Amino acid sequence: MTVNEKKFIESALLSDIRVDGRRPFDYRNLTIRFGSEDGSAEVQLGQTQVIGFVTGQLSQPYRDRPNEGSFAIYTEFSPMADPSFEPGRPGETAIELGRIVDRGLRESRAVDTESLCVIAGKLVWSIRIDLHIIDNGGNLVDAANIAALAALSTFRRPECTLGGEDGQELIVHPPDEREPLSLILHHFPVAVTFGFIGKENTVVIDPTHYEEAVMGGSMTATLNTNGDVCAIQKAGGDAVSQTVIMQCLRIASVKAGDITSKIKDAVESYNTQRSLRKIKRHNPDQQGSSDVAKRHMERLTVGSDQSGIASQFNEHDKTNKRNSTLKGFSGGPASWDPYSKGVDGDALRTSLASRVAPVDKQKEESSQVNPETKSNPKSSETNSIALTHEVGLERKQSKSLKDAVKPKHKRRNKSNAS
Amino acid sequence: MEAKPSNLVDQLVVPGDVILDLSNMANQTLKLGGGLRQDGDSICVMKAGKLRFMKPNKYWVESSQKRYVPSAGDNVLGVVVDTKPENFLVDIKGPALAFLPVLSFEGGTRRNIPKFEVGTLLYVRVVSANTGMNPELSCMDANGKAAEYGVLKEGYMFESSTGLARALLSSPPHPVLEGLGKKLSFEIAVGINGRFWVNASQSSTVILVGNAIQKSESLSLVQQKIYLEKLLKSIQ
Repeated sequence: MTVNEKKFIESALLSDIRVDGRRPFDYRNLTIRFGSEDGSAEVQLGQTQVIGFVTGQLSQPYRDRPNEGSFAIYTEFSPMADPSFEPGRPGETAIELGRIVDRGLRESRAVDTESLCVIAGKLVWSIRIDLHIIDNGGNLVDAANIAALAALSTFRRPECTLGGEDGQELIVHPPDEREPLSLILHHFPVAVTFGFIGKENTVVIDPTHYEEAVMGGSMTATLNTNGDVCAIQKAGGDAVSQTVIMQCLRIASVKAGDITSKIKDAVESYNTQRSLRKIKRHNPDQQGSSDVAKRHMERLTVGSDQSGIASQFNEHDKTNKRNSTLKGFSGGPASWDPYSKGVDGDALRTSLASRVAPVDKQKEESSQVNPETKSNPKSSETNSIALTHEVGLERKQSKSLKDAVKPKHKRRNKSNAS
Repeated sequence: MEAKPSNLVDQLVVPGDVILDLSNMANQTLKLGGGLRQDGDSICVMKAGKLRFMKPNKYWVESSQKRYVPSAGDNVLGVVVDTKPENFLVDIKGPALAFLPVLSFEGGTRRNIPKFEVGTLLYVRVVSANTGMNPELSCMDANGKAAEYGVLKEGYMFESSTGLARALLSSPPHPVLEGLGKKLSFEIAVGINGRFWVNASQSSTVILVGNAIQKSESLSLVQQKIYLEKLLKSIQ
């Protein structure tokens, strides 16, 4: 760090420009990428790179909170990120970073820990968030926080049910048997870091590592888009007046909104890609009907969730709905079905199946459009309940799409059609 | 008989490539520079980069990386990290700190030893650099004159790769540097160790020039010209 750099950074800030050409309240380019596994995210903020990885394990709950799961944050500052990082036990900055991210998530109750409970008092999910710093380009706290949020949003834990002979045995379902569930995040606490440079308390947001070396103090404010201040961290450094702090908080809430929308967009595109991947892998001739039904239900529920109509069917009784749709059914799928997303899925399914299956199966495909559209309202109920019931009731006799629905359906449909 | 230059000259080579077969070249001397090695009857490449040839018989490999390997005769930008009674310890982005003797300044005697505080930026010359030893520097040229060496005041120092530093020093001049020089007035010092220093009357000029040069490294010649045009338009 040269004397010239320090003087230059301070004098350039007097004319409101920073060394990399940014203005004092501009963030660097933020890119969020996801790994192939659920719950892994890589965040790049300018030159800073952080990888977040979320894993879950079943464990015993704490004695004073028997029906809540737990989560813990572990940080690792890789020596390849910065010459001053040493391998081994985390240093002071590593622990401070972990504490800031942890406080933001825990105190504001962003992660819903009660939904992580499996058997009260005995078994709960304990979530572990690992943050690896890959490249230190300054402002590790913000990047690590975004990585933790992105990884938590895409993490899925296996579904557990009580079963066995006496109903007391815990069955953890593997992901190909039952779709894993995502965590419930009430809100996104986003950390925004400010650096105070020079004697006039010039404030810069998202400092680079050069600016961090010359700044006199820093403050990290963790906020969410609802306007709540989840946490503030100002550890030592230059004294800052009250007005400056209030100004920083106001700016931070604007930036938190930007960052939250970026995270949500990235997570959404990841989720659509993930569900698309599941469709492509499906081959109706080669897999069991339970898989067929599960993927089918999942795809249709994804479709109906996206169209936002799932809530309408929560009150209806399943059988009533089935009866009414049977009576109302009069032919092609588009005539009565308001949820076109489901129909598109069907068209895709039939085209896929017809491409794969031999020619004589095409007649079966056309008649199967009927039962599939009927199963639409069924599947639009809440995810887990629908999946549980449908999977339980299937038969594994033959491996065609027709067997994706209940036998009752098939019989009624044949009578209607003929 | 003059040797036919290898047909890989000015092309990208990787370690393991054989550039010359010596069995059919008798009675000739070749000078091998960095990145090349003689392996029996063949000359093999050791470092990835571009193979260069200079008449009549010099071959070497030019590569670009972030680290600098000190070699004698280079002009580099160093940062003072410590003062000792006999030497200043200067960081030149190499594997070891370099020594700058307190007397290697023009007219330097024991009475007027310059006082450099930690963090002073210097433009110095590498006198000797042997592997395993700390390189030696000097603020005088070979004749004992100060030339342009010494402390660089004000301005800002940017980091680059060794390849970009070489490109900035080459002739024909670097297109972005030349183009900006025609429109803006600034002072620049380039160290072959991957550092360059820019100074101008306004901070915004310094930042513009420094960032433009750093960004132009990954662009091809044509892209550099386009980038330069856009930049100059935005200044006006």
